Amino acid sequence: MSDRVSDTPDAPNGSDPAATGVAADGGVADGSTADEPPLDPTADEPELDRGIIEAWAARMISNPDRAYRATFYVATIFFLVTTLFPFYWLFMVAITPRGNLSDVGVLTPGGFNPGAFIEIFTTLPFHRYVFNSFLIATIATVAVLLVGSLAGYVFGRLRFKGRNAMLLLVLVTSFFPPAAFFIPLNRLFNRNVDALRPLIADGSLYNTPYAIFIPLSAIFLPLSIFILMTFYSQIPDGLEDAARVEGTTRLGALFRVIVPLSAPGVATAGVLTFISVYNEYFFSSLMTDGRAGSWAPMLEGILRFQGEFEVLFNLMAAASIVAVLPVAILVVVAQEKIVSGLTSGAVKE
Amino acid sequence: MASVTLEGITKRYEDVTAVDDMNLEIRDGEFVTFVGPSGCGKSTTMETIAGLTLPTEGTIDIGDRDVTDLPPKDRGISMVFQNIALFPHMDVYDNISFGLRLRKYDQEEVDRRVEEAADIVQLEGMMDRMPKEMSGGQRQRVAIARAIVRKPDAFLMDEPLANLDAELKVHMRTQLQRLHRELDTTIIYVTHDQAQAMTMSDRIAVINSGVLQQVAPPLECYNEPANLFVAGFIGSPAMNFLEGEVVDDGFESTYTNFDFDPATQGVQTGQEITAGVRPEDVYLERDAEKATAPTKAFDAVVDVIEPMGSEMFVYLLFDRDVEASAEGRGEGQLLINLTPDAEIEEGDNIQVVMDRNKTHLFDRASGEAITHSLE
Repeated sequence: MSDRVSDTPDAPNGSDPAATGVAADGGVADGSTADEPPLDPTADEPELDRGIIEAWAARMISNPDRAYRATFYVATIFFLVTTLFPFYWLFMVAITPRGNLSDVGVLTPGGFNPGAFIEIFTTLPFHRYVFNSFLIATIATVAVLLVGSLAGYVFGRLRFKGRNAMLLLVLVTSFFPPAAFFIPLNRLFNRNVDALRPLIADGSLYNTPYAIFIPLSAIFLPLSIFILMTFYSQIPDGLEDAARVEGTTRLGALFRVIVPLSAPGVATAGVLTFISVYNEYFFSSLMTDGRAGSWAPMLEGILRFQGEFEVLFNLMAAASIVAVLPVAILVVVAQEKIVSGLTSGAVKE
Repeated sequence: MASVTLEGITKRYEDVTAVDDMNLEIRDGEFVTFVGPSGCGKSTTMETIAGLTLPTEGTIDIGDRDVTDLPPKDRGISMVFQNIALFPHMDVYDNISFGLRLRKYDQEEVDRRVEEAADIVQLEGMMDRMPKEMSGGQRQRVAIARAIVRKPDAFLMDEPLANLDAELKVHMRTQLQRLHRELDTTIIYVTHDQAQAMTMSDRIAVINSGVLQQVAPPLECYNEPANLFVAGFIGSPAMNFLEGEVVDDGFESTYTNFDFDPATQGVQTGQEITAGVRPEDVYLERDAEKATAPTKAFDAVVDVIEPMGSEMFVYLLFDRDVEASAEGRGEGQLLINLTPDAEIEEGDNIQVVMDRNKTHLFDRASGEAITHSLE
């Protein structure tokens, strides 16, 4: 003990402040070094010759709340910068006139030409591309929520043999890379099916919205089933029983009681599906010829601003910003539900 | 209003039989209570009547209709649930009118009926409250209003008072009885609380392990229990049981014996039987004249006295050597119920008599009651 006490003054500056603190405490407890008048360890601190970082670390240890707050702000700012700065820079590029694109700085535009936001609709029917994506995403979301609700009800609320095996099978399909489905689907959709002739011009699904939303709905369905299943399973049995006694069928109880009470889960599944389908490129680009009239999606439209001799970066940037708007609005509207849906599955009765 | 008839209802799950061959006829306008310990099958029976569970075998008739294969909504019943089960996303008005709106009643009729039902359960002025803004008692009243608003043929109530506090429970009990009188509708009520069963019902159906034990008016179940299970389940504190056998001139067990003529009671010498006597049918020897027909006196030692105010529970040991069991109801022990003025102390040696007219005999092997009086 006395060894450690005598060591204290010699402790190198670079040593762990925590260790220094402990040693100082030891000195206090021992009380053998009678020469030092104040035995309060905090009063000792100014006398130690500490570097800036060490002093900072000591403050953080004595007041951990500051450390947590500091870490929180650092993490938040880092996250906000990495997510929002690209948008800011896109905007800078978008308002730069076509000839000055090389002048775009890190924070400043190379000129001022808001006309790009008009031009994207005149050079190409970009609104049509956005509409295509929006419509396909909406149909897919409705289809996924409808089928997902039925499946979620079955997996979440009914007990039957082979339930877990079937659930696993459904989930396994979402583990495959979507590319694995592409060739068979492409062959299927490019074929002219006589039975479809009365419904679709040449009996082929190629260049129709069906060719896009059918496979995309199928790919995003398992995730939605999983989310909805978790939510539906938490609705007390008594509520479903009450609805059935009061006069609904099982389906009626699902849509009148279980779904409304699972609103956060339904919103989460719906928004995730919508965003995924809206942003999807791989299938959409391969199932159409890329023209707006052929139901080509929004991303296809953005890439069309890339000419043979020139890439119109300002128009691509403007188009990207416009394309983000529908999803941004959707998320803002549904935000409250999504947050509670992602963070908790609890349903208050 | 309608009668409810169960015929041979059996519900089997993979490895257990929850309800076993239940036959029961509930008359129009009757208040019948299913009572039994937890997991005895009373709720399953009710669910089969409601149609929430399909019976493995048997048929259910409500009124003159066979409803065995009908979905719950077409059975003409309504139900009050243990967890109350109000729809949390609807206000009181929407909750009560849910069933009417599904059946496409016109708006005026819905309003009129909701108002009437709310009036009966005293919910005026709360129509736009949400369930979570209400107290437990108010929610329960909304649930009852939701059940009565459709004027069903029969009400099913599955432990509706279980989640209420003690005071409210007693209050709601009276309300339910009043409601039954006003509506005059068949009510089937499930509870594990025998106080509710005894106080409210026209008849109680005692169920154990999925088997119907006895269906009778409450006092008949109390005074003439059909078997050992009913005798032990109905009544609080429960009946005392003395295990012994029939000898030439009566009954003999380790600590007690009393005489009767085996021939007149329909038992044979050597038969293993259990004698049952309720705590209030045992008297101190000096008060023997209070018994209509006292047996001879037995020695006993006062073990524990529990004064309750209006009465006094006294745990006795037949012998100082008897090992007292934790619940005080084991072999060689006797619980008696005395008036609070009985002057006894713990540790006293006393003598007690039983009332021969209130002494029950049960066959030990089958559990069936043999007699409810030795005279």
